[in-house]
Amino acid sequence: MNDTWIAAGRGGSDASMPAIVAHGLRKSFAGRGGTVEAVRGVDLTVRAGEIFSLLGPNGAGKTTTLRMLTTLLPIDGGSAHVAGIDVARRPHDVRRRIGYVGQLGGADLAATGRENLILQARLHGLSAKEARRRTGEVAELLALDGFLDRIARTYSGGQRRRLEVALGIVHRPEVLFLDEPTSGLDPQNRANLWDHVRALRETGTTVVLVTHYLEEADALADRVAIVDHGTVVAEGTPRELKQAIAGDAIVVRPKPQTADVERLRERLAREPYVEEARAEGDALRLYVDDGAEALPAVVDRLRADGVALAGIALSEASLDDVFLRRTGRSLRDARPHPDPDGALQEVAA
Amino acid sequence: MTSFPVQVRLLFSRKLLETLRAPAWVLVGLSTPLLYLALFAPLLDPLAGGPGFPRGDVLDVFVPGLLVLMAFGAGMGAGWIVVDELTTGVLERLRVTPASRLALLLGPVLRDVVVFAIPALLVVAIALPFGYRPAPGGIAVALVLLALLTAVVSAWSNALGVLMKETGSLAAIVTGLQLPLTLLSGVLLPLSIAPGWMRVLAHVNPLYYAVEAARDLSSGSILTADVGLGFLVIGALTVATLGWATRVYRVAVA
Repeated sequence: MNDTWIAAGRGGSDASMPAIVAHGLRKSFAGRGGTVEAVRGVDLTVRAGEIFSLLGPNGAGKTTTLRMLTTLLPIDGGSAHVAGIDVARRPHDVRRRIGYVGQLGGADLAATGRENLILQARLHGLSAKEARRRTGEVAELLALDGFLDRIARTYSGGQRRRLEVALGIVHRPEVLFLDEPTSGLDPQNRANLWDHVRALRETGTTVVLVTHYLEEADALADRVAIVDHGTVVAEGTPRELKQAIAGDAIVVRPKPQTADVERLRERLAREPYVEEARAEGDALRLYVDDGAEALPAVVDRLRADGVALAGIALSEASLDDVFLRRTGRSLRDARPHPDPDGALQEVAA
Repeated sequence: MTSFPVQVRLLFSRKLLETLRAPAWVLVGLSTPLLYLALFAPLLDPLAGGPGFPRGDVLDVFVPGLLVLMAFGAGMGAGWIVVDELTTGVLERLRVTPASRLALLLGPVLRDVVVFAIPALLVVAIALPFGYRPAPGGIAVALVLLALLTAVVSAWSNALGVLMKETGSLAAIVTGLQLPLTLLSGVLLPLSIAPGWMRVLAHVNPLYYAVEAARDLSSGSILTADVGLGFLVIGALTVATLGWATRVYRVAVA
């Protein structure tokens, strides 16, 4: 056996080694309006066995990053190791160790679920017997049993997505990449798929989850990297990220006739316990260190100013608050990359 | 690791099963040559023995050309299917497996070869009672040559589909080339009756060599210059096209 093979074996089996290490990843696309830098220097470390989420708005460069890590796109700059293997130098060895569920899905709709799974397992090197056995196992794990021998075109959205996840794991990959796995699913199917992803972590699979749903990152991820305009703007556990910004948020909704929101914002921003105040339509969002302490003070202040309240709420900071503080925009209404070509590239690429 | 021949067999079976489950297209494909046999070949009868038709029955000249038409037609649709597999993410998923890129390409290419070969045998059989008299060995070799032609066209259409990513521009190129290539190869009427400039132009058309070789083979002349040239041109194209298309599969940003 040659050196490459020995190194591959060593790289794949060391549990203490990070599942993914990327330094300064870069990718540009030639667009109509010139070159678009989709990914501009992404650093990532994903630990073995964790669920790691790349969270960001559409066009942020998440999918492009994922496509470089999964050997689908050549890397323009920087380096990436997946399961200990250099992605640019040995893409073939990386493919043997990863599973990938793309945004488009990837199930062969003209074939049955079972045919899909057996082919995928065989192409990954399982014997015919092993492939049949593993197909049975993943079918049970993802609850595909009832329709495994039907043509995939007849599946419901949730069934099809579960088949696609099964295709990603049938060969027992060390690292599973999921790109927007719940997009287009109804809430029940989404919650159902979340359970399946959590169950995967129990089997020791490292999961990289690309999503623009902050609830999804919050619910599933052990650690999150927030991506915007092709760079990682924050990284940590959801808890760390939320604690790193002001602890809590107070949402104040004055009765419209009793206060002007912008004037009220300026007024409250001067209060010593308010770190930052933002107007959001007819409401105000105040970031404070300790919500329980600040809430009565806010209420007192408003009463003294003669402002009547339509509502007031105290919430722990969400990942959206983290995104807002880091980028100045809310993830919920963050527009895609300002260059339309860039956004198209991400969808097309 | 699953060996290369097994990968090819698995990927070919997938495509073949797909065809068997939707056989309508094979029947539509078969209807074209049968219509030519029924509604065009009789027009040639008065030309028997005249220029371009020196051999026995007109079908001895016409059927080999018809088989070339079928070989081209069986491969040219591959790009449409590959665009569909790009949109559903199937090709992308397969590209993240360690499967050989050549195997990924050969799956659909070999299916197209089968989709050419079986109807081609049928057409030969159907033409027999109407006077077609092929040399058994010769027609077998001709079918091998034309199977290579199907592989060339299929690999070319596959790669174009991956590069174009949508059926609009793919259709413009493939169907745009289909008519000039077939007209300028003498499939319907032999180019020996064509004006000199057409015969010169035909020499840049690979299909022309396939037609000339297929006619020689069908008549039983196996060791002729035209047959050698046909295998040389189509063989070289097979190697070049498969190589190029595999490269497209490897680097495809799809």
